[in-house]
Amino acid sequence: MTELAYPLAVMLFPGGLFAIALGLALKGADRRFAARLQGRVGPPLMQPFYDLVKLARKRTMAPDIAALPVFLGAPVVGAVSMMLGAALVPIPGVYAPDPILGDLLVLLYLLAVPAVVLMVAGSASGSPFGAIGFSREMALMLAYEGPLVLVVAAVALRTGSFSLSDIVAYQQTHGAFLLDPVMWPALAAFVAFYPANLGIVPFDIPEAETEVLEGPLLEYSGPALGLFKLMSALKAVVVLSLGVTLFYPLAPEGLLGLVAHLAKLLVLMLLGVTVVRVSMGRMRIDQAFRFFLKWPLVLSLVSLAAVALA
Amino acid sequence: MIAEATLDPGLTAWLGAAILLIGEVIALLSLRNLTTLIIVSTVAEIGYIILGVGIGGTVGDTGAWMHVGYQTVMRGLVVITAWWLIHRTGSARLDDLAGSGRRMPWATALFAFGLFSVMGLSPFKGSFSKFLILYSAIEQGQWLLAAAGTLASIIAAFYYMRVIQRVCFEPPADASLQLRPEPTWLSILIAPLTGLTIVMSVWPEPFLHQAAAWAGVIQDVARVPEFESPWSLLVLLPYIGGFALYLIGLHTKMMRDLHAVLLAGATFALAVLETGLDPASHLFAVLFAGIGFLVVLYSWGYMSHGENANRYYFFVFLMIGSMLGLATAHEFGNFYVFWELMTWTSYFLVIHEQTPKALKAGFIYFLMCASGAYVMNFGILLMHAQAGSFEFAAITAAMPTINPAAGAIAALCFFVGFAVKAGFVPLHSWLPLAHPEAPSSISAPLSGILTKAGIFGLVKVLYVIFGAAALARFAESGLDVGMLIVVLGCLTLVYGEVMALFQKELKRMLAYSTLAQIGEIAAILGLGTSLATTASLLHVTNHAVMKTLLFFAAGAFILQSGRRQIADLAGLGRKMPFTAGCYALATVAIMGLPPFSGFISKFLMITAAAAEGRIDIAALILVGSVIAAFYYLRIVRLLFFHPYEGPEVQEAPVSMRAAIGLLAGLIVVGGVAPSLQLDAVAAVGNMVAAAGTLPPVELPNLTLVWPAATLIATLGAVAVWLVGKSSVVAAGRLAIAVVAASFVAVLLQADRYDSLSFAFALLVSGVGTLNMAYATGYMAHGHAQARFYAAFTLMMAGLMGMAGSHDFFNFFAFWELMSSWALYVALVHEETNDARREAFKYFIFNTVGASFMFLGIAMFGTAAGSFDFAAIADAAPQMTTPWFGGALVLVFVGMLMKAAMLPVRIDYQMHPATAPTPVSGYISAVLLKSGPYGVLKLFALFGGAALLDRLGVVSGMPLVMYAVAVIGGVTVMYAGAMAVVQNGIKRLLIYSTVCQLGYITMALALGTTLGVAGGLMHFVNHMMVKDLLFLCAGCIMVASHAKTLDELGGLGRKMPITFAIFLFAGLSLAGIPPLNGFSSKWLIYQASFQSGHYVLGIFALIGSLFTLAAILKFAHAAFMGAPGHAAEHAEEAPAIMLVPMMLLTAGCFVVGMMPGVLLVPIAAIQQQLGLTPIDATWMGPLPGTGGWHPGVLSVLLLVLGAVSWLYLRLGRAGAPIIRSPIHLCGVGTLSPAASHIGASNLYESSDAAIRGVLHAKYDTGYDPDDESGHAATPV
Repeated sequence: MTELAYPLAVMLFPGGLFAIALGLALKGADRRFAARLQGRVGPPLMQPFYDLVKLARKRTMAPDIAALPVFLGAPVVGAVSMMLGAALVPIPGVYAPDPILGDLLVLLYLLAVPAVVLMVAGSASGSPFGAIGFSREMALMLAYEGPLVLVVAAVALRTGSFSLSDIVAYQQTHGAFLLDPVMWPALAAFVAFYPANLGIVPFDIPEAETEVLEGPLLEYSGPALGLFKLMSALKAVVVLSLGVTLFYPLAPEGLLGLVAHLAKLLVLMLLGVTVVRVSMGRMRIDQAFRFFLKWPLVLSLVSLAAVALA
Repeated sequence: MIAEATLDPGLTAWLGAAILLIGEVIALLSLRNLTTLIIVSTVAEIGYIILGVGIGGTVGDTGAWMHVGYQTVMRGLVVITAWWLIHRTGSARLDDLAGSGRRMPWATALFAFGLFSVMGLSPFKGSFSKFLILYSAIEQGQWLLAAAGTLASIIAAFYYMRVIQRVCFEPPADASLQLRPEPTWLSILIAPLTGLTIVMSVWPEPFLHQAAAWAGVIQDVARVPEFESPWSLLVLLPYIGGFALYLIGLHTKMMRDLHAVLLAGATFALAVLETGLDPASHLFAVLFAGIGFLVVLYSWGYMSHGENANRYYFFVFLMIGSMLGLATAHEFGNFYVFWELMTWTSYFLVIHEQTPKALKAGFIYFLMCASGAYVMNFGILLMHAQAGSFEFAAITAAMPTINPAAGAIAALCFFVGFAVKAGFVPLHSWLPLAHPEAPSSISAPLSGILTKAGIFGLVKVLYVIFGAAALARFAESGLDVGMLIVVLGCLTLVYGEVMALFQKELKRMLAYSTLAQIGEIAAILGLGTSLATTASLLHVTNHAVMKTLLFFAAGAFILQSGRRQIADLAGLGRKMPFTAGCYALATVAIMGLPPFSGFISKFLMITAAAAEGRIDIAALILVGSVIAAFYYLRIVRLLFFHPYEGPEVQEAPVSMRAAIGLLAGLIVVGGVAPSLQLDAVAAVGNMVAAAGTLPPVELPNLTLVWPAATLIATLGAVAVWLVGKSSVVAAGRLAIAVVAASFVAVLLQADRYDSLSFAFALLVSGVGTLNMAYATGYMAHGHAQARFYAAFTLMMAGLMGMAGSHDFFNFFAFWELMSSWALYVALVHEETNDARREAFKYFIFNTVGASFMFLGIAMFGTAAGSFDFAAIADAAPQMTTPWFGGALVLVFVGMLMKAAMLPVRIDYQMHPATAPTPVSGYISAVLLKSGPYGVLKLFALFGGAALLDRLGVVSGMPLVMYAVAVIGGVTVMYAGAMAVVQNGIKRLLIYSTVCQLGYITMALALGTTLGVAGGLMHFVNHMMVKDLLFLCAGCIMVASHAKTLDELGGLGRKMPITFAIFLFAGLSLAGIPPLNGFSSKWLIYQASFQSGHYVLGIFALIGSLFTLAAILKFAHAAFMGAPGHAAEHAEEAPAIMLVPMMLLTAGCFVVGMMPGVLLVPIAAIQQQLGLTPIDATWMGPLPGTGGWHPGVLSVLLLVLGAVSWLYLRLGRAGAPIIRSPIHLCGVGTLSPAASHIGASNLYESSDAAIRGVLHAKYDTGYDPDDESGHAATPV
């Protein structure tokens, strides 16, 4: 049975199908809430599911100068990496990932995979818009990944482990980092990080549809585009769950725990993503680059130093 | 009678001295007119007689009388012949007399003979009576008088030589001068005077007795010193032979040359077989006769069209005879005679070509050496006055009783005489003048053995006859001759190296280099220990061989091509491959690189200096070597790696090549089998030890031990090179077979390696085989393929030898073999300006790095008394902390420099991008790992942290290892960021290599179980992955001829396999899970954080990001995006290139799925290194907390990927994919190339930030105007 535990975790719960459903539902909620904030009615909650089905029924198209295996492989790898990633994050009180799947470090690099595949996809398409998107994505990543690494290091230093289960356990006994002033700068840095990682305003610079026509995604259509949409939805689950794990993993055992987790994700999605993206404008890449090297970097360093001294 | 004069003897003597000195000065001033000159000089000579009489005593009176007789006859000869010349010329002005040698050869010759006799040059015994007078002065303590006499002789020598040169050798000022008729009455006088002079010179005893009788001291004649003893057969043979050759040469050139070689050979044989000599004398006799033989052999071809060959051979043999006489002398009389004869005979050889420059050089040479000899003579007489004998044995016996002040002065006098000959600064000025002007066949022995005669003198007189103990006692009087030798040696070394650097003429450069070499010999010799003597003498013999070869080859270049300037030698190596090849070999040897003789002696000299604690001297020698590398390598580069322009040039004649070839053979033998030479010099060292009551020599083991793999590769490299002369394809196949065979040899000899080294050797030869196979495809249409394969194989030989070494001597020797000349030849292969400059730079950098290590190793070895690893480990705890720490830091610095750590200027430390790609890849992937490998080996050697903790502890780690880890960590960041901003295809990869080496170094330096495991795993992963990336880059370069990323674009569709491999390897390198590169990095992250080094861990994490950016930039610019011009004609590489790449890819894949494949052997290595082994199983997860298994992740990824793929292709039941043009907002006329976003357009903000912070230049390292060399890659 234990041999089956982690394949199931990856394919059914909390990764795989569960994560897909959760991610698409969160996307639906996001779109609906955004519409309401903008005074529109908005699509039904199930719209992301419909979109996927619709896209699956389209024919696959690819540019004539694209490197085809890479062009089509990229969305597959991206989506799969996040299905896996979802299985790496604990659901406090409900699910603790098997160490054999990986720890926070593995997750950290797995989280880079969607960005990598987007870059590769943009590059492989042969489109100059794709290339610009790729270039911007990398520049942005070089900027935000440093603060993220420092945040992760601060958490690991505080808890003494890179195991996500240990991090959860630590906060369950010592109190959530959300309430720990030492960790506040790190939290702030994380808050700055995830919009960039999720590719939403004000940091949706690589895919900016009004500037570079969705950049890497420009040449995608049909099921390939569907996989990218799926990847994006899954990534939201993973990144937001990671935020929960790192800063507020307190929850009751059992079904209540799962409910609490879903509630936290929903709140984060609506407040942290939807509100942000509808209320702000897009930065230029150089502004974003400088921003990350200024505030989040300093904040995360402050936390790290504070933790090291504490 | 005169002695009974009523005048005060002291006053008389001073009067004589005054007349003498004033007279000589006036004579000097009246140099314009020969008549005046001779008259004044005669008056001055009378001063000498008065001096002798004034001093009185048996010796003084005898000397005075003898002087009267000698001067009457010899000066008579001068006067008569001068009269003759003046009469016939019709003028006494020296300017008019110039050129008499051409007009009246016989009379001029006799005039010169007379003058040399009057000067008292030894064969002519005019000095005999002077010696007596000087001796009497010294005997009576009138040192000032003796000094005045010596000074007068030097002044006289000056104007005599001027006269001899002007009258006898210089060309006539007025060629149309009509001679007047011969005055017959004068010729009647000339013959008897000449005869009498000869008789007096050869048999002085009857005249001595007669003089004693006149002086009235006949009963005391025994008190007069015996000045000479009979000449030995070894001396007579060349002397008599020289005369015989002259006579033969008057009839037939052919027979003369043949007999000359036979005679020289016989002399050499006689010298070798001579048994009655002490080791020092025998060593030098063999050396002198041996080089003499080669000079004669060389001269056969060299002089075949030369003028005055008879005279040349005559003096060559006289010179050889004199030097043998010097070497075999057992008392100071002969010693001095031969010393003077050596100068005199070689003088004629220096001025052989009789050009104005040659005459000037010869003049200075003669004057300086003769003056030095006079000073030495003073010392000889002083020693006799003290010890009562000229016999060496007697003087040695009397040594303990000699007055320290007198001893010190005598030692100083000897030193001055020898120092002039050896060319110590500031007594060196003759040397750089004489060398270029002499015929090359003579420049060679001038450097090779004549300067060594000075060293011989120092060894023989100061260290064997006097002995170190006596010198130490003399030093108490305030004059430390040993110290003087060291100081002047160092000065000479620096001066010689620096001057050589600025020379434009080949022979002058070699001459200054000789100064430098003599300087280092002296600096070591002056230390006075038996080991130092042995080391310096070993270098004496090696330098004699090497420098003789260099001058011979230089002579061949000049003779065949007429090119004397260094800059003109470009490409000559292609026309004279044998001569230039031997020249290059000697160059490599003289730079002190293995496996040649110069390396052994340099190693021993550095060891000798370190053994005395003189790190300063050792360091100075190493600095000198670095300077020498500049000027020596420059010439090799010109000879071989530049195109030749100019008229056709033939190889040198056979006899010259034979001499050069023999010397080259000696250099190789001296490197690989130095025991014979070592025994000979160690015997001298022991003798010095015995004389100075020092402990005998304990030589370290200096024999190279060749593991089978190294031997196969080395011999194989030679075979490949030879086979390449007939078929390059066969050479390529042979090269692959050789490297594969050495892989097998490593397997078969598994027990000679420790686990770490075994693994390293396997990887070296395994990856080597793949790269060599790839290279045969890559180079298929290139030039000089066999040379490249041979150099490449040799590099691997060095690496495998290093892995197979059990002691530091072998380790360092093979380290040098791997990273010096073989590497250079491989790197410079493309022969573009860029390639030449970059390869040169890297060579120099490596030399500097190796020098640090060299010094450290010498410190370890001397402190432990052995270079054996185990012995050093045993002795390490007893070493003082500064010594141990200094040595360790030096060795580490050397290793870190190899791995291009130390982020100061990484572009200086990196191997050049201009090298052929298979070797670039190999260097990046394999060769540079020798740095981290060495660090780990050393760390384990000293028992891990325990011993290193002595040097300080920082955050739970030994300070040294902590420093290494920090250097590694900083390098990760620095090189990683630099890689992001590169645009050169290979420069980007090379920076990335440095970054990854930082990971490895950092992890190994952490020294924890996890750290070492992670470091070693990354060591192998990076080896495979980075090699793959380079090989992909090579495929691109073959397909496109591009050098920068901006020239590329869209190659992925044309080269799908290469692209797939690149992307796989690149993402693995960037640490994308679950690929193999991530696994090892994961271990490194864990190790850094677990050991509490958070900052290092963060560096490591961020470094990955830089790698990712660099790799994606490369992938985009080359393979993806819109297709550029290069992509139009590109096609996939041939199978011979793809198959090695696929094998490496398979390796990466296996490691990615089953990290146990690497971790289990790593655990075994850790066990053997004495570390706690990592917990690993073949199929199991990665160790550490959590136990992540990349294989599980991979399988899940594949399964989910298959499901997702189904979704992707399910639409419309797998209908064909529609291909359409890209969206360009409706613009239809934009070509794909025009819409390509190139490498330099990427990452604008981050690019600018990195450039701003790191001051990185925009230049890509390629010179766009450089089209002079061969194309980078074949079609």
